[in-house]
Amino acid sequence: MNSKRNKILAMVLGLVVVTIAEGRIKLVALPERAATVIRLDNPRATLIEEERVLTLQKGLNKVDFSWKAVSIDADSIRLRVLDHPDNVTLLNVSYPPNEAALVWQISSDSDYVETVRISYLLSNIDRLITYKAIANKAETFVDLKSYLILRNFSGEDFAKARVLLDYGESFEQGIDHEETKQMLFFKAAKVPITKIWTFDAAKLPWDPEQLENRNVGIPVSYRIVNDAKSGLGEFALWGGKARLFQDDGHESTIFLGEDVTAMVPVGEKMELYIGDSRDIVVTQRKMRDTQINKRYNNDSSPRLVLYDTDEIITAKIENFKDSPAVLTMIQHIPGQWDMKKCNMKYKKKDANTLEFEIKLPARTEAGPATKELTMHYNRRNIRPGVNVRPMPTRVQRTIRR
Amino acid sequence: MKRIIFTLLIITVMAGASRAKIDLVTLPTRDTVQLTIYNSADITLVRESRALTLKEGKNKLQFSWANTLIDPTSLEMLPLANADKIDITDLTYPPRVRNLGLWNIESGISGKVPVEITYLTSGLSWRAFYMGTLTEDEKTMRLQGYVRVTNNSGEDYENAQTRLIVGKVHILDQIAELARRQYPYGRPGEVIPMTLKALDRSAPMEMDKKIALSMLQSAIAKRPKEIKKEGLSEYFLYTIEGKETIPTGWSKRLLSFDVDEVPVVNLYKYEERRYGKSVVRFLSFKNDEEHELGETPIPGGRLKVYRNVGDEGHLSYTGQSSFKYVPVDEDVELNLGAVANVVVEPKLMDFKTENYRFDRSGNVSGWDEIRTFKIEVKNTRGIDVKVEIKRNFSTTHWKLAKSGDFGKFEQVDKDTVKFTLTLKPRSARKFEYVLRTYHGTREDDWTRALW
Repeated sequence: MNSKRNKILAMVLGLVVVTIAEGRIKLVALPERAATVIRLDNPRATLIEEERVLTLQKGLNKVDFSWKAVSIDADSIRLRVLDHPDNVTLLNVSYPPNEAALVWQISSDSDYVETVRISYLLSNIDRLITYKAIANKAETFVDLKSYLILRNFSGEDFAKARVLLDYGESFEQGIDHEETKQMLFFKAAKVPITKIWTFDAAKLPWDPEQLENRNVGIPVSYRIVNDAKSGLGEFALWGGKARLFQDDGHESTIFLGEDVTAMVPVGEKMELYIGDSRDIVVTQRKMRDTQINKRYNNDSSPRLVLYDTDEIITAKIENFKDSPAVLTMIQHIPGQWDMKKCNMKYKKKDANTLEFEIKLPARTEAGPATKELTMHYNRRNIRPGVNVRPMPTRVQRTIRR
Repeated sequence: MKRIIFTLLIITVMAGASRAKIDLVTLPTRDTVQLTIYNSADITLVRESRALTLKEGKNKLQFSWANTLIDPTSLEMLPLANADKIDITDLTYPPRVRNLGLWNIESGISGKVPVEITYLTSGLSWRAFYMGTLTEDEKTMRLQGYVRVTNNSGEDYENAQTRLIVGKVHILDQIAELARRQYPYGRPGEVIPMTLKALDRSAPMEMDKKIALSMLQSAIAKRPKEIKKEGLSEYFLYTIEGKETIPTGWSKRLLSFDVDEVPVVNLYKYEERRYGKSVVRFLSFKNDEEHELGETPIPGGRLKVYRNVGDEGHLSYTGQSSFKYVPVDEDVELNLGAVANVVVEPKLMDFKTENYRFDRSGNVSGWDEIRTFKIEVKNTRGIDVKVEIKRNFSTTHWKLAKSGDFGKFEQVDKDTVKFTLTLKPRSARKFEYVLRTYHGTREDDWTRALW
């Protein structure tokens, strides 16, 4: 083998059983590494399977397997006899002291040139997945490319190996220690996308006017469904970094943004946050917040023990874009509540989260397309000092100019 | 400085022999280069085309970028012709070599092949800034928008088509950090450390003749270059006419737009919660056609405002303000700071309490407070002004009665109201309001129809 660096060295076949405890005599040639497989189907660990040819003699054989400057999980090492599984038996495995090694004791009923497969978990060799998507100008689909990145920092050079992932064809690839290789993994043309704008009242500032020359960006995402309709859906899409570009109509592209996706199983959605829109402006205000139905105790100076609230929130949504958009607006009402009146339909995502889908037409000559949400609600049975359900905190995001 | 070096290595695999012969064939130069520069993040998309001379079979192409700020993970090469015959098998980042990538190309043809190489780099930036010149009567303003493009990337980009992106792009990693990594994708299990190794920028700047010439050429052009603007996704793309050469370390100012007569409103605001007891001056206009604008959004930047004085074209400096990004059709309000020539004086003229409520022990449990305010607004300037007065209350339980010359009245939110008045030159207006606030158990008696 012409590998420059071979740290999983020694495969020594001991013909003589040495019983001296102080030293171990190792004999016989180093069997060449034959077919090697790098299995990357488990993101947490990489399994190496290599085949070696051993010359076994009738009786007991000792095979020494040792390594240095690589990290092998010793408990993961397995040996499988391929040619004569009924005639060749692995009797036991022993670990010599203070050595990165193990010794197999193999019993053979005859002399064989035997191919064995050794499997083990090797550290610091793995793969990453990245995505590159180019959207068309109208932002209705993307051409999706996925790259596989092999990183080998295991200490071992692999001159030639069969690389296996959890799907797709295996392929042959050599990779040296400290080498990184990027390969095109798959391509899917014209994958449909949905563009989504989201205003979450718990995350974004309410009143842009209060922000002294800072814009509030409404997060914009692309949604891709991993299904057959999208030309995908054959396998789960691995998690990784995705970079999005867009065709600019001048035979070039612009960079739209990047995000990281978790693994997307078949049938599930991938959402990639690309950037912020400053052409949709939300101005949310609390127009009323008072206590009603107050109940006091019978102390001589009565203390408030129970009340409801009467609250009105308005949110003006302006679309300054010259194209229509659908804004997903998330509102939060803590604790127990009743909606008295609301001028738009909403979906209750959970006990305290309301989701509005607001269709905004494009800006016209007369100005931005404007819609106004008004919610009039009562929060019920609030007991001062008793926090039945914590109020969500309003996170003020730092906004860059 | 040319730091991006391209080397084409052709490996000819001899038939029958496994011996590989490596030939260094050409150093293809850049034919065209296009820069798309962002200002919300330190990121630039570079697209260059080069013509490679490929041989049939295996070709190796070496790309190196020492002392630049290129993100190696963003490198991509695509053949612009014969794409079906050219297979880019992989991009290898060889061990123990920094700032170098090796493309393995399997070519079904031999001869010249144009390719396009794209990557992201750090170190190029642009920003917008503005100059406003008010007419003497301050009714209109000449507004000039500029962009300033700066190249600190370590690489000279000659004759580049330069494009600027207005918008807020989401990025996970700083390109400059990706550029400084020892291994492009890091090591398995590694938390990427932020190496703060400074770039080698100590090398003296050499301006070759070509650059000097091209700068000279643009200097003697008949008119300033135009900037074409168009919307794409959530962004605006500004394309600078022609080609630009900006050597590393240099920056360039270009005129983005020049509008002569933007009608402006001299707006003065008074709100104690935000500005204390001072009146703050704003210059207000709208990014629309009526104001000779409105073609595209206006990117954020700093504006310096001057005013024409006298007939000889002299200027007086009024102040400066920061602009935020202004979408088409949105109002712009430029804060020029506190002034003394427009005065807003609220005075508490009367205070009383009433409607006391008592609990069973005879202690006070509820009451009303009634305040009468007189507000005097004075315009000592020789021009028309608009004045916005906001009053904030300490409770949401209030009622207000107003009288006198109060202009337009509006409830802003649960505890804020706004009066808007217009004042003629050197004039004054007065109005009054009576504010009743409800306290303690009197809050229960408070009702206000709103919705």
